[in-house]
Amino acid sequence: MNQMGPDGLRAFLRTYLTGKLASQGREIPKDFGDDCDLLLSGIIDSLGLLDLITAFQEHCGREIDFDALDPEQMTVVGPLCDFVSAQMAKG
Amino acid sequence: MRTSESFPERPALSVQGKTLTYRELQELACRIAATIQGRAGCSTTPLTAVFAYRTPVAFAGALGSLLAGNGYVPLNRTFPLDRTRTMLERSECRSIVVDIESLPQLKAILGGFQRPLLIVIPEVEDTGALQEQWPTHRFFGSRALDPPHAWREPAISNNSIAYLLFTSGSTGVPKGVVVAQRNVISFVDYMVERYQITERDRLSQMFDMTFDLSAFDMFVSWERGAFLCCPSQKTLINPGKYVRDTQLTVWFSVPSTIAFMKQLGILKRNQYPSLRVSLFCGEPLPVSSATAWLEAAPNSILENLYGPTELTISCTLYRWDPVRSPGEAELGIVPIGYPYPGMNVLVVNQNLHEVAPGEEGELLMNGPQMSLGYWNDPEKTAAAFVIPPGKTDTYYRTGDRVRRPVGDAPLTHLGRIDFQVKILGHRVELGEIEAIVRNATRLDGIVAVGWPPTPSGYGGVEVFLEGPSSDPDVMRNSVASQLPEYMVPRRFHFMDRLPRNVNGKFDRKAMLKLLEKGL
Repeated sequence: MNQMGPDGLRAFLRTYLTGKLASQGREIPKDFGDDCDLLLSGIIDSLGLLDLITAFQEHCGREIDFDALDPEQMTVVGPLCDFVSAQMAKG
Repeated sequence: MRTSESFPERPALSVQGKTLTYRELQELACRIAATIQGRAGCSTTPLTAVFAYRTPVAFAGALGSLLAGNGYVPLNRTFPLDRTRTMLERSECRSIVVDIESLPQLKAILGGFQRPLLIVIPEVEDTGALQEQWPTHRFFGSRALDPPHAWREPAISNNSIAYLLFTSGSTGVPKGVVVAQRNVISFVDYMVERYQITERDRLSQMFDMTFDLSAFDMFVSWERGAFLCCPSQKTLINPGKYVRDTQLTVWFSVPSTIAFMKQLGILKRNQYPSLRVSLFCGEPLPVSSATAWLEAAPNSILENLYGPTELTISCTLYRWDPVRSPGEAELGIVPIGYPYPGMNVLVVNQNLHEVAPGEEGELLMNGPQMSLGYWNDPEKTAAAFVIPPGKTDTYYRTGDRVRRPVGDAPLTHLGRIDFQVKILGHRVELGEIEAIVRNATRLDGIVAVGWPPTPSGYGGVEVFLEGPSSDPDVMRNSVASQLPEYMVPRRFHFMDRLPRNVNGKFDRKAMLKLLEKGL
């Protein structure tokens, strides 16, 4: 699986969040999927989102420009992973 | 009201994807006001709570409270429920305006709430079921609101309240600051003139209503018929596209937002050309943040505003000048500048005697923006609003450490009085350590704390840094040459994101808790 492809990034996100939640004594929701809004479902708060962005940047090995990502979609699993993947494909 | 008559069809507010004209906003506010005015018992306390968050009801509720002759008490559904309950109880409000999103939380509060409330819910048509469930209170939905023409202009006295704002939790039990309408009028009159606000301007609403800086956005916009643009909670995190799409002309936020935007990669050269005024307030503004912002907003002036809630929003300011300002900054922080017209400055020592020019001391201020004190708390009011020896009028003690200017130099902010700690018997200013670490790392988010506690103060200093980690030994060596040994940080804690309080400011207490837990 391409680590920077949409599926690779989804796998990374799931692993990252599982670890984060475990450190708080919580588990990733059973219905975690593309439609899951990380903010509205309480998985992360706005501060957690910035941690996540940093984790994505470290995983990808470079800065990611989030300017073009619709803020309303920024916390939704599918659009977020697809956006990061597209940014990586741009080179 | 005057603005609404001048610009009835111009946009007053954009929120939740809806735009309200001045006529629409006024109509809803008048209906809320008339409903409150028409019910006996609501005026025993001159306050109305507004339990609404970034919705049309939030803004119409604040305006409606004022039109009813009451100050507004903002409540926030993103706060813990217990905190909201305490604020509602302590305010002694008899009326409350609620939006549909905050209704579930209100229901949870009403369970143990004894005082009868008049509850206005403009987005609910039929409140029959609610009325049945809570017969102690009276509910008014959209159908039951009085018509706008039933509104009557209230009598305004010298001490009529504009808002009651509870300070953030950093001081333990929240204190309610009572800000008078005359305080806000004095502030707004100066701001609209200084920034030449017109009906063509578009102002940001980054602040929640529970943060007093939000009053700038609302009242400065509406005084001149400008368009107030309120982004969603999610957009606050990534506001770049919003600034461009709405073509904002005036930006106002805490300095931390600059660090946020840098991290998201959305603070690039000339990214926000529509901005003509950029204002920052609420915490120290690092020089590096100011220069980064101006690269992204090159057509804008940048001003650093300073002011505690008790002095109404902001009361001193400093305009950044790329040539002069780096020389005027102290500890890598932009000066807080000069007092607003009519506001008086006194820099004093521990005995409240004025210090000599060039010396450090606590900043005391008074003038037309000095608030009425703390709600139902004469003791705390007397402790903070004092008459210094040799003076005849009352000043507010800000708790901020500044340098008394020499000549016409600007005021510089040196930290909080209570950020001075004793380390092994030495008096240490944590801001000085933060400045040296900031300079060495080129990171903006730096917080130094005394740790561990000892009977005489603290055993040493530890530093929290927001950003990618680097070798602590190299870091320690780079600052050790500039600090006496007892001030050299013992440990450096790198975090992707430093803890912040509800107003977005760095939360020192949370950092100390991390150390208590054995970080």
